[in-house]
Amino acid sequence: MKTLAGIFVLLICSGCSSMGVEPWERDVLAKDEMQLTTDAIEAATDDHIYFSKEASSGGRGFGGGGCGCN
Amino acid sequence: MGSPCEVLCEGLDKAQSRPLLEIATREAWRIEDKFSRYLGDNVTARINEADGKPVSVDAETAQLLDFANTLYELSDGLFDITSGILRKAWRFDGSDKVPQQSEIDVLLENVGWNKVEWANSKIHMPAGMEIDLGGIGKEYAVDRAAELLRNLDATPCLINFGGDLAVTAAPKLRESWRVGIESPSGAAERQIDLQSGAIATSGDTRRFLLRDGVRYGHVLNPQTGWPVEEAPRSVTVAADTCTQAGIISILAVLRGDGAESFLQQQDEQSWIVR
Amino acid sequence: MRKLDKRDEQAISTALATATCALLGTSIPAAVQADEGEGWDFNTSVLYYGEDENRVQDLSISAIGLRTFVDDRILSLGITLDSLTGATPSGAIRQDVVQTFTRPSGSSPYDVAAGTLPLDDTFKDTRVALTANWQQPFGETSQFNVGGSLSKEYDYLHLGVNAKLARDFNKRNTTVSAGLAFAHDELDPVGGAPTGFSPMLDVGDISNRTGKQDKQIIDLVVGVSQVVSRNIVMQANYSYSYADGYLTDPYKILSVVDPVSGDTIARTALPGIDGPSHVYLFEHRPDERTKHSFYVQTKYFMEGKVLDASYRYMTDDWDIDSHTVDLRYRWPVGASSYLEPHLRFYTQTEAEFYTVSLADGATLPTHASADFRLGNFDAITAGLKYGWKTRNDNDMSVRLEWYAQSGSVPAAQLIGNQASRDNYPDLNAVIVQFGYRF
Repeated sequence: MKTLAGIFVLLICSGCSSMGVEPWERDVLAKDEMQLTTDAIEAATDDHIYFSKEASSGGRGFGGGGCGCN
Repeated sequence: MGSPCEVLCEGLDKAQSRPLLEIATREAWRIEDKFSRYLGDNVTARINEADGKPVSVDAETAQLLDFANTLYELSDGLFDITSGILRKAWRFDGSDKVPQQSEIDVLLENVGWNKVEWANSKIHMPAGMEIDLGGIGKEYAVDRAAELLRNLDATPCLINFGGDLAVTAAPKLRESWRVGIESPSGAAERQIDLQSGAIATSGDTRRFLLRDGVRYGHVLNPQTGWPVEEAPRSVTVAADTCTQAGIISILAVLRGDGAESFLQQQDEQSWIVR
Repeated sequence: MRKLDKRDEQAISTALATATCALLGTSIPAAVQADEGEGWDFNTSVLYYGEDENRVQDLSISAIGLRTFVDDRILSLGITLDSLTGATPSGAIRQDVVQTFTRPSGSSPYDVAAGTLPLDDTFKDTRVALTANWQQPFGETSQFNVGGSLSKEYDYLHLGVNAKLARDFNKRNTTVSAGLAFAHDELDPVGGAPTGFSPMLDVGDISNRTGKQDKQIIDLVVGVSQVVSRNIVMQANYSYSYADGYLTDPYKILSVVDPVSGDTIARTALPGIDGPSHVYLFEHRPDERTKHSFYVQTKYFMEGKVLDASYRYMTDDWDIDSHTVDLRYRWPVGASSYLEPHLRFYTQTEAEFYTVSLADGATLPTHASADFRLGNFDAITAGLKYGWKTRNDNDMSVRLEWYAQSGSVPAAQLIGNQASRDNYPDLNAVIVQFGYRF
């Protein structure tokens, strides 16, 4: 599994250096709606609901939880 | 300008804002074409290639050179439009290629606005010297474009050329223009609410040399030929015009560890990142 | 050249203003007016989550306060208050007769009508959760993040700490991060935690109960985010989670059934005492669980519209595999509002020890649970969010979502009459959330 994770990160990374933008081309990326997490509370709410109703959790960040609901 | 030009016009759709955008863009290109040292066949090239002979310039160029002359005096020689050739020795690519003092000394002989005769719209520069108006040009273009739009239309607009920006008026639908200043470390940006005036930032942390644990920033001191010691990572200034904001921020960076005390002496609001 | 004294040399504002006027050939249009945005930003929300058929209802209020300091140091404090009521499936199966159960507290019985899904209706709780987080730059291109969390319910206490380090490369187009979290959770169930596989006892008999239980959870996340172009940003994470301790749900039971008819075995309480009408055993899960998740997300800006797509694969050593696809499409409406449809698809396989019932007389498995959340099911979420800017430039949003689970018990597990009954408690829920940021 660890090897798999390693390969995964490597695959994602290869070609990284050729991608991207210059600092002054970040106008679109700087917009609120282009942040990876747009709404922290909504994301936390969803994580909490699905944590308590499904057997999976986390992915985006830490596993969530911290309640007696599961 | 080496960076895209952004014009935000409040309350206009694409078609309505097009003429405003075109005016701002045309002005930006005009200034770029006329003064960029990278393009031949313009007034900067004529001055730099004069080979010791005097050159007469037009009124706009004269105003810019007058301005550069004032800045040289005000900054006691720290702001010098003849310092551009020092770049031949310094390549800021994150490597450890620090030049030899002898290389710098040779270049320094051709640096110094005080060696230039400037009077009556005539510039007489010793052979081998070069001027570079890049330190003023972008902010000047922002202010010129803002002025053109202001004269044309009452629509509140924001003109942003690669992070140096000015607004033509306060927006109507909200209290102010909200400007995000991206920090060099990449952490959350700082929010500045701008109702009128301009904002400019100097300093760039991605361009540096590193040797023996010493980090050499990319702003050069024209008197020593070496990067400014203890330069702040970035200085952002809000002022009446983009030109003023840009000059105060670059002068603060040039002061190195004296940046804070310099900024405290000025009337303008500023934000410094070390 | 005029020689300046030290003071003059420094204060250049006035001289510069004069020189600028000469340069631009105009008077200065308007004096600058700039203020740094308020130090505190708040993100608040009210949420209603309601399941049909009188199952779980949750009313939740949350607030996050964000204080930005100079040099990009950020303090974030969060609070959530949950008020939960309603009933949850106990794990017992439907019967053609009335079933009587002892409440988790052990102090009284309750009946479930013939043919209905047994729900434990004692679910009522208030939860307070607090989070605190500190973020600051670490050297030139890195950021450091530390945080803590605390959550308290009547029967549950969670304490957690976490830390994360992120580093930027390639003109900040690539960010690599690694984080570690540790949690210590304590369960103090009403009436005490039952011993795994012990039977549900008569009212007043708590001989199968133990005291407090606890578990420890370690989470590790490594990730990369990458700016692909001016309009596209991507993220990929791998996370590892290891839980150790009491992982059983102390309120969940299993029906013990006749190996031929599939009906739950009847029993009688001691004379004069109330007690369960049938034989039920408390569930028993392994005391360790290791999970691995792979998560990828991309955001794509298309002329004002933003597509947000993510996929997660999770696998664990309980044999649960799950796939989650989440899609959001933000559609601007006018200059200052937007609509955002949301679709989410989820599917999971059952845990290796998931079973709908236990056959009487057969050897007990090492572990067993009839908790539908460990079963085989699919879920769909469909929602719509509307967000707009208020007059004073704050953000408001409201969203309405439907969440539906539908599962099935593997045919091989069904015994006798069970095949003709609906054994899987499908779930339908509605989510309404109102958000305000200022």
